[in-house]
Amino acid sequence: MTRFLIRRIGQAILVLFAASIAVFLLFFVGPGPDQVARTFAGRLGTPQRILEIKHALHLDQPLYLQYLHWVGNLLQGNLGFDYYKGQSVNTVVGQALPATVSLVVGAAILWIAYGVFSGVVSAVRSRSLLDRGFTTAALFFYSMPTFVLGYTLIFIFAYELYRVTKFFPFSSYVPITTNPWQWFVHLILPWLTLAMVTAAAYTRLTRTSMLDVLGEDYIRTARSKGMPEQRVIRVHALRSALTPVVTLAGLDIGTALGGVIITEQVFGIPGLGWTIVQAIGQQDLPIIMGIAVLAATFVVIANVIVDILYAVLDPRVRLN
Amino acid sequence: MTSMRRRKSLAISAGAAVAAVLLAACGGGATSSTGATSPTGGSTGGSTGGTTGNAVANAGVTGIANPSDHKGGTLTFASSSTPDSLDGGNEYYAWTLNFNRLYETPLLTYKSTTGGAGTQMVPGIATALGQVSPDGLTWTYHIKKGLKYEDGSAVTAGDVKYAVERTYDRGVLANGPSYFPQLLADPTYKGPYKDPNGDLTSITVPDPYTIQFHLVAPFPDFDYVVGAFGQTAPVPKAKDTGAKYELHPMSTGPYMFQSYQVNKQAVLVKNPNWTQNEDTEARQNVDKVILTLNVNADDIDNRLISGDLDVDSAGSGVQAAARAKVLGNPSLLRNSDNGFGNREWFIYLDSKVAPLTNVACRQAIEYAANKTDLQTAYGGPVAGGDIASTLLLPGMGGYSAFDLYNAKSQPTGDTTDAKKALTTCGQPNGFTTGLAYRSDRPKEVAGAQALQQALKAVGINVQLHGYPAGNYYGNFAGAPTFMHKNNIGIAFGGWAPDWPDGYGMMWALTSGNSIVPTGNANIGELNDPAVNKLFKDVANPKLTLDQRSAIYGQIDKLSMQQAVILPEVYAKVLIYRPPTLTNVYIDPAWGMYNYAVLGKSS
Amino acid sequence: MTVSVDPAAGHLEPEATATAPGAPIIQGRSLGQIAWRRLRRDKVAMAGGTFIAFLVVVSIIGPYFVQDPTVYHSSLIDPTFSRPIGPWGGISLAHPFGVEPITGRDMLARIVDGAPYSLLIGFLSTMLAVVIGVFFGIIAGYFGGWTDSVIARAMDVFLAFPLLVFAIALVGVIPNSAFGMSGNQLRVALLVFVIGFFAWPYMGRIIRGQVLSLREREFVDAARSIGARGPYILFRELLPNLVGPILVYATLLIPTNILFEAALDYLGVGLIPPTPSWGQMLSSAVSNGFYYIDPMFMIIPGLAIFITVMAFNLFGDGLRDAFDPRTR
Repeated sequence: MTRFLIRRIGQAILVLFAASIAVFLLFFVGPGPDQVARTFAGRLGTPQRILEIKHALHLDQPLYLQYLHWVGNLLQGNLGFDYYKGQSVNTVVGQALPATVSLVVGAAILWIAYGVFSGVVSAVRSRSLLDRGFTTAALFFYSMPTFVLGYTLIFIFAYELYRVTKFFPFSSYVPITTNPWQWFVHLILPWLTLAMVTAAAYTRLTRTSMLDVLGEDYIRTARSKGMPEQRVIRVHALRSALTPVVTLAGLDIGTALGGVIITEQVFGIPGLGWTIVQAIGQQDLPIIMGIAVLAATFVVIANVIVDILYAVLDPRVRLN
Repeated sequence: MTSMRRRKSLAISAGAAVAAVLLAACGGGATSSTGATSPTGGSTGGSTGGTTGNAVANAGVTGIANPSDHKGGTLTFASSSTPDSLDGGNEYYAWTLNFNRLYETPLLTYKSTTGGAGTQMVPGIATALGQVSPDGLTWTYHIKKGLKYEDGSAVTAGDVKYAVERTYDRGVLANGPSYFPQLLADPTYKGPYKDPNGDLTSITVPDPYTIQFHLVAPFPDFDYVVGAFGQTAPVPKAKDTGAKYELHPMSTGPYMFQSYQVNKQAVLVKNPNWTQNEDTEARQNVDKVILTLNVNADDIDNRLISGDLDVDSAGSGVQAAARAKVLGNPSLLRNSDNGFGNREWFIYLDSKVAPLTNVACRQAIEYAANKTDLQTAYGGPVAGGDIASTLLLPGMGGYSAFDLYNAKSQPTGDTTDAKKALTTCGQPNGFTTGLAYRSDRPKEVAGAQALQQALKAVGINVQLHGYPAGNYYGNFAGAPTFMHKNNIGIAFGGWAPDWPDGYGMMWALTSGNSIVPTGNANIGELNDPAVNKLFKDVANPKLTLDQRSAIYGQIDKLSMQQAVILPEVYAKVLIYRPPTLTNVYIDPAWGMYNYAVLGKSS
Repeated sequence: MTVSVDPAAGHLEPEATATAPGAPIIQGRSLGQIAWRRLRRDKVAMAGGTFIAFLVVVSIIGPYFVQDPTVYHSSLIDPTFSRPIGPWGGISLAHPFGVEPITGRDMLARIVDGAPYSLLIGFLSTMLAVVIGVFFGIIAGYFGGWTDSVIARAMDVFLAFPLLVFAIALVGVIPNSAFGMSGNQLRVALLVFVIGFFAWPYMGRIIRGQVLSLREREFVDAARSIGARGPYILFRELLPNLVGPILVYATLLIPTNILFEAALDYLGVGLIPPTPSWGQMLSSAVSNGFYYIDPMFMIIPGLAIFITVMAFNLFGDGLRDAFDPRTR
């Protein structure tokens, strides 16, 4: 197990290294040092300011030194400095992260709960009316552009119903520390939007995987021994059927923590995804690079966690 | 289904609603209550004889709506975006400067009154307007004695000097205007953060209550430079935290910061050390002011209409959805104002990009543009604005309603004259050029397509190039080399004057001296000797206000003859005010409600 | 409680017996033929397929039958509200889908003219992803070991990238003309590249898994024993056996890519106006709030995307079931 861990973490570091080079090449080397310095300087960059930034970023040095400088800062947890707003990228990320985490955690609970429930019911009562209902719903949300769903919810619940219910706000975000109830209320529609489009894949995956497992020999054995069906499903089938679902959930949550761009954009939630879209609009390179690297790190860590979980759940993996 | 029915009924009442808005412009029985204010003629155009009992609409344009001295309550603002900063030394948006008056007071400030007088400068923390030396180079201000910050410490002239010094560091405070470095004699000074031992020698403080500015050349509008922005609001050096100062600026206004979470919310409470006697232009009517950020624009409208919110801080008027609601409902219409937004939307024609180097080719575009479609793109006659034909805004000194390119007589485009101009230009079959616009501004996206379609009719083929608004002036339209290299002859833009006179409106747009390699606002690259000379003449300290206005009128005409700008609309705003909001009027200096005097009833 | 699906009864036999009465000859049929027979009896999948065929026809000849999608009809717009006069977004005989707010452009013409863009970008980006994904997937799966590790980690790198972020950042910084192209031509190429280039690892992983199981089969051993070398085995023996999964997952990738393009349009980095792409139309409906007062402005392009994506998903699901009935 230890060897597996070391190898897996080593690979993760390698992947991160490659990702950082890609980010560096795309945003630093691609546009050329003058353009980079100008972009860093922001909309009011004077020639003198551009020279200063060029120097501060080591843009006047060879490429590998520029890269080492940048990565050196990253390793110390310093995502860079945003000349556009005059603050460190860490500050910007620190302000945005709680909103994204709130959104993702709430939505993940919903989509996993609903996805697994509907998938299991669909598999157990295959071809029943319920199964057809759940699979159709999954197909429906799977085919729906996220922003159309989001704006439709806003239209119905916030725009049309607001005067009646005075309940659903359109958008924006209230920190949980400011007002927990308002935090909850403001996140209901975003949670639903994100959960519904994501849950579709879980319904399908759980159903398929459950059907596979239910056909395995040991399930038949359990049944033939006279074990109650409820118990067969809960004790034997569910456990192994959910292994791929856990994997998918880990990866999805890891990706989402790096910013849920569309949902945050539609509902005006100032999380990482919203911040990076703003930054792209302003060509605010330090923010774009900082969040991109952070998002990649989340995905890679999620990958490692999932693999370790997998190895714990299924010992065969370790031997491979 | 319900939405469909509602839409239908709105459509039927639409025509009547517009008539009511326009008619109401000349009604308005506003009474003044707050001493200094007096209702004068509103600035809305297009009104004819009044009828009907709908005269209360536009009460905040023609006078003051809901005047009241009632104290107490909470005033709630919401913004659909984020402020450029809440630090007076780092602000350039009109709404943040307007909001700034709630907690910071510069040397001078706009007079809090309706009508034309609202564009005048009056003392803020200074005792009087600036005293200028006979050579026009030295401006002296005296500061009121006994003024205190929120913490009770004294306000001194040195704090004002320091406040200006810190704005020299564009790396820390990047947003504000740069008039001081241009007008004062220390262009190399780097600001107190990089150069803690340096000194801005062109500002002197002979005693703690006197400050003097030493200019390199006469500048008659200098009072506006110190008063129209937040850069002279005093900052105590010991409390300055650079870029983070916006989290808690030391208050000299009626309210002070209780908390500010960036991108989310700011909460202001009463400043115990503020006194009405020392600050006649602001009021301390409510107990608390809350500004919520990043609220969806349609959500803001919804909350305004249902009374859960008091002010949309951007002040640019309601969205399309609420526009339909307000205009279609007499009881909502009664609480709305439709006034000028102190801004013009226009299109630059770059005189350095072939074939627009030829004035006749630029004139062809001026003639051919369909002004009605452009007006519709910006929101139509009520929410968008009146079709424009000049650079100066109606009501500004020197404004005259000339119409060189038949914008008003043939608003859907004058193809005959356009073709004539094309022939003169030597391009009878038209030509091809690029068009820059801000792709994240729906109105410009619509406008760009409308112009493209109109120019197609005379053979001018336009390729659209959308750019993000954030760096539009920095890297794209405002970078002349970029425009030349990419053969982009047309660029969408707009201008809200830094202060409401001909200089504030036109210098950056048409003076040859204003052309800069990045952040350029003279995108037409007009460098006309006659115009440049007039700008020089107008700085003569011996001229009277009327003489200066006459010169601005000439500059306007000369610039329009050069056809470097195709005016679209004099922006108008349709603002809804909840009935509980008091002392409301559209301030001509900002083109939105004056935030410094608002209150709440009950 | 009964379990109605019996995976152990797996692959081909039950189908063969089921078709036995009508089709006495059960031998000599390829996997593809069998799948096609199954697919034909899947009404839902065939409905999806028919709609796709219809859409392709509309894309090719439709634009010749509708009005000019760029022509303004200002007279159909109420200037005060900038929205179409009349209910349902100004639907009339002359404009069966109504007209666009502000401009009065014909919605039907814009939907029809927009179809080729959605389809083209969906198809081409999928092709790109398939070519790259299959190539590396086969190599990784067949050679295994060191090669496999490198390719698998490379796929990890791609999957670790916040895809949308890179897409908007990239499309946002590319100038108006590059690589000898300009305007929308460049945009389409760029969108195809970005979407396809980041989608290939999904394809790669699936193919790699398939090859891992295929390479242990007898026919590969047989080929190897008679002296066939790597490339021959890879592309002559393995590839034909992968056609099924490639077809299935390519079909399922197309709708994902169409949604992706719509999302890029929504974020303002898609095609350039006045190109009538569906995502562009949706984006303008929501970005200035016109859908509140003219819901048809969002509903019509929204339905166009939704139905198209749904059709591809239905067809793809049917295709997968036809190749591998266990998942039904």
